[in-house]
Amino acid sequence: MSSSSSSSSSSSSIQKLCRNLIGSAVQRCRMSESLCRLSVLVKQSVESDRPMVRITISDTGIRSCLDFKQYIAYLFVYFLADGVLTVLTTGLSDEEIYQYCLNLKEHVPSKRSTRLPSRPKHGQKFSGTEITLCTYESINNLVAGFTCFLQKMLILKIPKVAVELVVDPANFSGTRCDNLFIVGEDIFFSSTESNIECLVSGFKDYVLKHGNTLDKQCQSCFSNSCVNDYDLIKIGTACDSESLRNMEEVVEAVIIMTELPESPSPSCLRASSVATRVFYFQNFLLCPISPSLLSSLASIDWKSFGLNVKSSAIDEDGHAVLEWENLPPYSHIYIAIHCYQKQYPFHFYAFDPVLILHRRIQFGRNLIKRAVKTAMDDLKEKYEGTLLSSHALKIKNYAPDLAHAIAGLILSSNDVHFQAECMSCLQLPPYETFDKKVEDCIREKIITAIQMNDRNPQRSHEAAPFLFEGESSVELELEEDEVEEGSASWDL
Amino acid sequence: MATSIKPLNSNLRSFFWRESELEMAGKRDHTNPSALLNKIKDFTRSLVLDLSNGRSPVVTLGRYRNHCSDPTGNCGCGSDQCKGVEVISLQREFHARRLDVLLRVLVIVQKLLQENKHGSKRDIYYMHPSVFSDQTVVDRAINDICILLRCSRHNLNVVSVGKGLVMGWLRFSESERTFDCLRRPSTAHPVPVYVEDVMDIVSVAKYILVVEKEAVFNRLANDRFCDTNRCIIITGRGYPDIPTRRFLRLLVEKLQLPVYCLVDCDPYGFDILTTYRFGSMQMSYDTIFLRIPEIRWLGAFPSDSKKYQLPEHCLLPLTTEDKRKAESMLSRCYLQQAPIWRSELETMLQSGVKFEIEALSVTSISLLSDEYIPSKLQGGFYI
Repeated sequence: MSSSSSSSSSSSSIQKLCRNLIGSAVQRCRMSESLCRLSVLVKQSVESDRPMVRITISDTGIRSCLDFKQYIAYLFVYFLADGVLTVLTTGLSDEEIYQYCLNLKEHVPSKRSTRLPSRPKHGQKFSGTEITLCTYESINNLVAGFTCFLQKMLILKIPKVAVELVVDPANFSGTRCDNLFIVGEDIFFSSTESNIECLVSGFKDYVLKHGNTLDKQCQSCFSNSCVNDYDLIKIGTACDSESLRNMEEVVEAVIIMTELPESPSPSCLRASSVATRVFYFQNFLLCPISPSLLSSLASIDWKSFGLNVKSSAIDEDGHAVLEWENLPPYSHIYIAIHCYQKQYPFHFYAFDPVLILHRRIQFGRNLIKRAVKTAMDDLKEKYEGTLLSSHALKIKNYAPDLAHAIAGLILSSNDVHFQAECMSCLQLPPYETFDKKVEDCIREKIITAIQMNDRNPQRSHEAAPFLFEGESSVELELEEDEVEEGSASWDL
Repeated sequence: MATSIKPLNSNLRSFFWRESELEMAGKRDHTNPSALLNKIKDFTRSLVLDLSNGRSPVVTLGRYRNHCSDPTGNCGCGSDQCKGVEVISLQREFHARRLDVLLRVLVIVQKLLQENKHGSKRDIYYMHPSVFSDQTVVDRAINDICILLRCSRHNLNVVSVGKGLVMGWLRFSESERTFDCLRRPSTAHPVPVYVEDVMDIVSVAKYILVVEKEAVFNRLANDRFCDTNRCIIITGRGYPDIPTRRFLRLLVEKLQLPVYCLVDCDPYGFDILTTYRFGSMQMSYDTIFLRIPEIRWLGAFPSDSKKYQLPEHCLLPLTTEDKRKAESMLSRCYLQQAPIWRSELETMLQSGVKFEIEALSVTSISLLSDEYIPSKLQGGFYI
């Protein structure tokens, strides 16, 4: 099994077409609302001098209603080996399997789409679609691309949909079928899991594997015993929605932060980059991110989470890549965003794979930005001391000195009763005289207070309590550096 | 070692404040070391209590002004009442730094008070020079502590090296030391640092003369002015430090003598004059204990240049900075109480020139001693 990353397989146009075909297969499966299988079969043919690869994308979802006549022009951008794309599709209530053939080499437009004789179902009840196309592209590239893509699609853990990738290289040792992966764990078939719960589960699996294709999590970083370790993997989620044009748009964001206690061992499978690749899904399909959305993501007030974006870009796979300037060592942040319409207004996509290519829905950027920010807030809220703002981090630096001074006020006092009072308040032994212990206790309390303030930023805007009751509530707004003229030269 | 532990008093803060209010109504009574140590402990308790309850430490300081630009003069500046509060918390980084410095200095102050020792501001600075970075940072922390504990700086056992000088018909003692100026009235003595320890003041002077500059002080000493004039002369050598102002105020209170001030005829001279009379902004929390409302301006007035026929080359044009400063001072509310002073400042600004007191000596080296000061005092030409 390979552990190639997405970057190793730049997406060819054929791969892009196939990804959209997979996307429409997913929609058909979802709409069937019953257990479905989505298969991608990659088979190499050695019948001719030039190796040709046959790709078959099949699903057991509802019937496809392709209207190729209308959209076939779009398909001309794809170079198919034989110029032919065949489609078989049938619905549960159909008595036959409909068969279409698209010949992209045909010069006469009216002859490009042909309906072939249907195949009988012999009374069997099933539904599904199978689309086949051929390409001269390297099978290795194709497999790497599909693997990477499907692996990311699995992040969604789309309920009731099992996905498999089958590769038949047809090498000289004879026919061999490699089932690269098939995913159909229990959780997939649970109807009680919400979309975001599935997303969290799938994304967590992805993170534990560092995005590799291995079935197992990275044992180097996440041993079985500490997978659920509170400190190692922290998850923040958000689900936001708004109604637009009578459709409810839902945006789900999941942030996962991993904080390893030490440098990963050489056996760790994670890529060395500290950059965050943002996985963006639209209507259950992994999609490239738009420059405007990237800009929105980059404009989030990351400093309020103690992060500085060094650079932001879109990589060759269409993912947003956020490079951090100051991520703590051995930490990594993973972001997944899923935008979808709550109802199924996108049903026509289920029938028409081509539309997905050319008519992307523009989800509200502000809604997406808000969801990511809320997910970050959620993570920060849930895990004390995590993602402290740059501001809080700066103030936190003063905690040791402040603690030292307060401890000094207590311990250097010649009033033992006063000292005992303070120790009692700090829940220390009444006559604790070990400076460091007192100091550490106070420091921890200061840090806790700073963290509390940072987690509740709205509270920091409220008026601070007065040290002395009954004093005037008028606060003069004076500049920090307000110094009277000549004051530095006198009053010595 | 069984000792009953009193619960922290949640009403501590209100007690603290109300007590301070009472103090401010008159002379501060609760400023002895024991009382201040108790206040420091109360303050520390409040910090510990806040932290124990998961709250950030917050320090609320009263804010004082000795002037503003309210033209009505009904603003209450310079009074013993604070004009609002300043909240120092951990919400801002510079507040965290300020709190850090304040607490560090407070630890030192607590030790000084407990051990009944004195330390200078410079001593304190050198205890954490890398943290304090600048003397003014320590100065500010000391002011903050004074406001917090409702006391004056000397109450904290923090002193500064006095730079003022005094001479004339005066004798006093400071701790074990006697300053007998009576023997040689024209010999300069340093102003005592521990003004609160000054006792046994004896004087046969008829007035006190405050001069801005050491050069003028030396001129008068050289002219043996005090030998022939029953007076006490004090200089703060520029902007007066706290010991000089406290000592002057002590003399005025104890001896009930009129006090006159001689400054350069320029905006800085005027500013120094107002510092004596109205106090400074930086020490405005302590203004009522430092200012000398009785002080009269003896000169030099803008009109003196004509009256004493100063040559043109002694009249220097006001710089842009001079004009800016003069205009700024004109708007100070406390000048409503001294309209003639304000009027003189306006005249200075309109004339566009300034001159130093030394310019009066251009025709005669002793004009100041022989003619200028005596004639002004005899003629009542002071304002």
